[in-house]
Amino acid sequence: MKKKLAFLSSALMLSALPMFAADTTAAASSGGTSWLGPASAVGMAIASGLCALGMGKAVAGAAEGMARNPGATAAVRFALILGLVLIESLALYTFAVIIMFNH
Amino acid sequence: MVTREAWLTKLFNAYLAGPGNALLSLFHQTASNPKEPWADFMVMQILVALLVIATLFVLRRKLSVDRPGKLQHIFELIHEFITDQADEQVGHEGKHHIVIFMTLFIFILAANLIGAIPTFVSPTQSHYVTAGCALLAFLYYNLAGLKKNGLWRYTKHFFGPIPALAPLMLPIEIISHLARPLSLTVRLFANMYAGEKVTMAFLGLTYLVVPAAFMGLHVFVALLQAYIFVLLTMIYVAGAVADEH
Repeated sequence: MKKKLAFLSSALMLSALPMFAADTTAAASSGGTSWLGPASAVGMAIASGLCALGMGKAVAGAAEGMARNPGATAAVRFALILGLVLIESLALYTFAVIIMFNH
Repeated sequence: MVTREAWLTKLFNAYLAGPGNALLSLFHQTASNPKEPWADFMVMQILVALLVIATLFVLRRKLSVDRPGKLQHIFELIHEFITDQADEQVGHEGKHHIVIFMTLFIFILAANLIGAIPTFVSPTQSHYVTAGCALLAFLYYNLAGLKKNGLWRYTKHFFGPIPALAPLMLPIEIISHLARPLSLTVRLFANMYAGEKVTMAFLGLTYLVVPAAFMGLHVFVALLQAYIFVLLTMIYVAGAVADEH
């Protein structure tokens, strides 16, 4: 298992070598391509993915709390909604920065 | 930069361009295009304010204890909701601050929802409008804290619980207090802007069911964001006027 993991990770890193060839030709021919589009997309994707993980934990905790103690449903639901909104606003800060860079 | 204009903005620019430029010059600003001084968000803001004032004017004339009408029921519901939340968050003094909470809630709710009407634009889709609301909330909670506690006791809040750590706590507290209006602004603006952009993106792909689902999500998010804005303002006011028992 460890040998397979080592082989796969080194294969992954070596397969990125052709990137160096592509970089210089593109820059030389068109005077510098802009990486702003792809970079914004990847940044937004990372932010959304991490926020989704956090939200998953929040919802899981809230569902378990409501299942264990149905009397506290209102309070748990309030904490859940507040937490979800605050986590979502973190993903939206990334979106706002992307808008700032693209205008 | 070409901006798409709502028909109301076009009307304003056609007939009221002169007063628009006069208003701007009152603040020593000039429009980037003097023939079109009115922006979408400005016109829509004025429309939302006038609509809310007109609704409340009609409501006031129809208020009755014995036979409340539908409008009175709706506003009683909203008032009870906000008052309960204020009592829960701020404590005894929630009722003193109910005015700002109700104003912010009704204005932001109306501003968010007016974008759902086909030819109108939400003013909260512009960061200028949300920054205005956030600055209002920021100034209000600081002034409420100053009025209640006086200058010295309010500044002591910034020093944290242990006086020896004050030089460390003070910059941290100031930065976190300054981050509050920023986060209020960006949260409301980005939610509204992103909701509309997503709906438009899906509308560009297909006009069957999917854009309507995203528009429904946008309306739900509009309600939720108005509530969250007011809830956070209540929490900040609660922190500012807190008594240490």
